[in-house]
Amino acid sequence: MKYRFKNNGKKAKSTEQKAGFAHPISRLADVDKREKHLKEHQDSLAARLRAGDHAAAAEFVDMYHEQIYLFMRRLGHNRQVSEDLTQESFLQAWQHISQLRNGKALNSWFYRIASNVSKLYWRRHKGREMTSIEGIGADVPENGEAGCDTIGQYEQLGRLKKAVAYLPGKLRQAVVLHYMQQLTIAEAAEAAGVREGTFKSRLNRALETLRKQVI
Amino acid sequence: MSKERLTKLLNDLADATVEPVRPGLPEDIKQQIPQQLSLHKGGTDTIHIVINLRISKLAAAAVIITTIILCASLFGGRDWASDGIIHGIRDSLAWLGAGRADVLAVRSRYEDLARQGRHVVFYGDGIAPGDNSAILMHLKLPDGRYRVVFGDGSTTIVNAEKLIELHSRMLLKKTK
Repeated sequence: MKYRFKNNGKKAKSTEQKAGFAHPISRLADVDKREKHLKEHQDSLAARLRAGDHAAAAEFVDMYHEQIYLFMRRLGHNRQVSEDLTQESFLQAWQHISQLRNGKALNSWFYRIASNVSKLYWRRHKGREMTSIEGIGADVPENGEAGCDTIGQYEQLGRLKKAVAYLPGKLRQAVVLHYMQQLTIAEAAEAAGVREGTFKSRLNRALETLRKQVI
Repeated sequence: MSKERLTKLLNDLADATVEPVRPGLPEDIKQQIPQQLSLHKGGTDTIHIVINLRISKLAAAAVIITTIILCASLFGGRDWASDGIIHGIRDSLAWLGAGRADVLAVRSRYEDLARQGRHVVFYGDGIAPGDNSAILMHLKLPDGRYRVVFGDGSTTIVNAEKLIELHSRMLLKKTK
């Protein structure tokens, strides 16, 4: 079963809309219901993990391995390293289950662990080059796929890929967490280990940089 | 380029940067799930131990008593079952001023003695804390007499006949 979390939580949504970061996805009633269901599922999974349920741990792996692998890839790690860091993130999660407290979002808790694992990797391998985001996914998105309905749009997407790859680490992390991993501002800020205001500021700077480069 | 257009492109980029994960990866991760997901790393994380002590007075009492016994046996050069240790337990219980902590501490002591193969009997957690007539534990001494620990933490040395008498009194009190 594959899970993908779009912005969940009405409170977070309104905060984003005020800040001007809302996703341009129409929020229908059934989407809200699905998100509410996913949130409930996350809460229940978190409770089972806290209780030491082995089956819940397996479910947790099914739920997050793909997200975390892509997160690592989008942060600039190559395939092999991304796999290793994904495994390391889960190992860290088992060791830090005690930090998963009541009411704390499973999403942001685990993304924070993954972010720290990635950060630690870069610190230990300072000389290593980042893999460009260009190398991830399909080489050329087909027209109509991923919203590219014109050649111009496709070219813009190509330029955007390059621009994201050249963003400074913290700004790139902000863009990846919020726009690519689809975390809410609150979740992404917690995952990055900063206050919401700081995170919004990083996003603003990142968007400004990208806007200049992708005309 | 407008912010809306840019955010839309970034969302499109998320879809364009999806790639398949190696099929064996989730299984590899699952194999690394520990058999028992514990809330705390056993014995290695000092901070967590301190947190535990802060949370649970009973756990704190058990740790303090065990530490006293260990220190006494390692540095004091005395027999584990000597009177001094028993008095140490009693004093510690008095210092803690705890009700259930008495029972817990004596049980911890009982487990230590039982592990050493000493002739010792523990009468369970059902004893009312503070009850000076309820026998919590008795330990056979080398001279054939018995050291009895009561529910209020007090101790006395008795012979076999007196021990039977104390037990009879306790049973009689229970049936009432």
